Amino acid sequence: MQSESRVDPKIIEEILKFSKNVIDAPNLVAAPDEISLEVTPHDVVQEMDKTRLLHYRSLTDKQHKTPLLISYALINRYHILDIHPEKSWVKNLLQQGFDVYMIDWGTPTSIDKYLDFDDYVNGYLDSYVEYIKNESSVEKISLQGYCTGGTIATAYITLHPESVKNYVATAPVIDGWRDTTVISNLAKHMDVDKMVEIIGNMPPEFMYYCFSVLKPFEQGIEKYIKFFKNIDNKKYVDSFLRVEKWLSDTPPIPGALFRQWIKDIYQDNLLIQNKMYVGGRRIDLKKIDMPLFTQVAVGDHLVSPECSMPLHYAVGSEDKTLRMYPTGHVGMIASSLSQKKVLPELGQWLAKRS
Amino acid sequence: MQPESPKDVTDYYKHLSLFWTDIIHLMSSKPQALTSIGPMRAFAANSKKITTELIDINEVLLEFNQYITEYYKQLSDTWSVAQKKVNLKAPDIPQDVEQIEAFKRIWIDIFDNDFTELFDSGKFGVNYGKLVSKELELTKHWNNITNVILQSVNLPSKEEIDEIYKEMHSLKKRIGKLELELKKKEMKSNAK
Repeated sequence: MQSESRVDPKIIEEILKFSKNVIDAPNLVAAPDEISLEVTPHDVVQEMDKTRLLHYRSLTDKQHKTPLLISYALINRYHILDIHPEKSWVKNLLQQGFDVYMIDWGTPTSIDKYLDFDDYVNGYLDSYVEYIKNESSVEKISLQGYCTGGTIATAYITLHPESVKNYVATAPVIDGWRDTTVISNLAKHMDVDKMVEIIGNMPPEFMYYCFSVLKPFEQGIEKYIKFFKNIDNKKYVDSFLRVEKWLSDTPPIPGALFRQWIKDIYQDNLLIQNKMYVGGRRIDLKKIDMPLFTQVAVGDHLVSPECSMPLHYAVGSEDKTLRMYPTGHVGMIASSLSQKKVLPELGQWLAKRS
Repeated sequence: MQPESPKDVTDYYKHLSLFWTDIIHLMSSKPQALTSIGPMRAFAANSKKITTELIDINEVLLEFNQYITEYYKQLSDTWSVAQKKVNLKAPDIPQDVEQIEAFKRIWIDIFDNDFTELFDSGKFGVNYGKLVSKELELTKHWNNITNVILQSVNLPSKEEIDEIYKEMHSLKKRIGKLELELKKKEMKSNAK
């Protein structure tokens, strides 16, 4: 009596194909270390301690008069805004005729553990704004703040409103109590004083842990299965490895800055209540009276829209726009959607005011 | 001093260890002068500090174990519940590629939802916060032991290095602000 095999031959075929892809992968794909994340040509025009001011070379004959400075986040590096020639936030803005600068916050070490919000806002950011104003012969610049860079930019603008013509807030971290993400839950229960006292800077490993609990099965398993399944698809693989490399490059966050960020934003929620102090001065969101363009992503699992949107309602600006996009935190700045929808809308808005 | 409870036992051994290291230190103060400048300098006092730290580490480890047990319990409970949900939604063993793909999608969606719900919950946040806090305390005791060793070979302790960092930060901040003010004044006068 013969037993009938119920295994679909296609399953065997799929398993064999997948195994072959895994074996062939090293021959087909570059190692992440071999990939350079520098895409659009730029010059380092200023340096302060470990931070750098990058100036991207123009791609158009004519440029808008007001330069744009991007205050990148404290988590991971600035490369995500210029991750791939076809998905580059910076390149797109250059092609739209904007003069673009970006801050690389660098990699703090133990000696930087006492750097605080005051150093970032009234030190580095203020110095770089002054430099750009001087270089471009303008009295005001446009400022974009992304994620935690949005928190720094927001604090800066309330203290130096005279230097900023337009404010673009992209998924800014503003109202910690409304944030519904896993990150905010962990932050709310963290003994940050103890961490800073004992360890100093926030270690990158802690951030990796936080990343690992965000959609752990989709991001931890399925993502890599898809990668090996698509190993022949050069475009997919290149894009995947660039983002993976960016994800794995997390610098520490200076202890004093991290302490104030966790306490003032997530635990005590002082920023949205206009009770946060930076360098001894109160951050009053009503002082943001210039045109404001707020961008949030509906599927953002790092900074939920509920955390970012209160900025739109709290500022003193009359000319303000709020845009919501059907994507995630990274998708909003480095995807085909960002190229087709997010950036053209931003460019139009900014061009009218630059 | 008679030990009665586990806490008393710890205190008893702590006392015993301190008693003998103190007595030995007093008894050996003169011969110790012979080793007053080498790495064995203040050997008895250093041993006492290290012993105290090791005893404290044991106490922290006990609490750390409680929180890490709870941490893995929460993970395994969530896993069991999620797996039951998957079994209810997809009771049959997948037979072909399409079914496997559908099963995988169900599995990932349910597991991601349930684990995100756990990581978002207060009970997870509280326990995880305490777990990290105990890890930090362990690190602190380890730092303290290392400080004793560093000082025995005339190297600065973490606190002393931190003082220098703090002083440097304060000086850099003052210089940076002065430089920026000067630049702003220069720019204003150039504009005029």
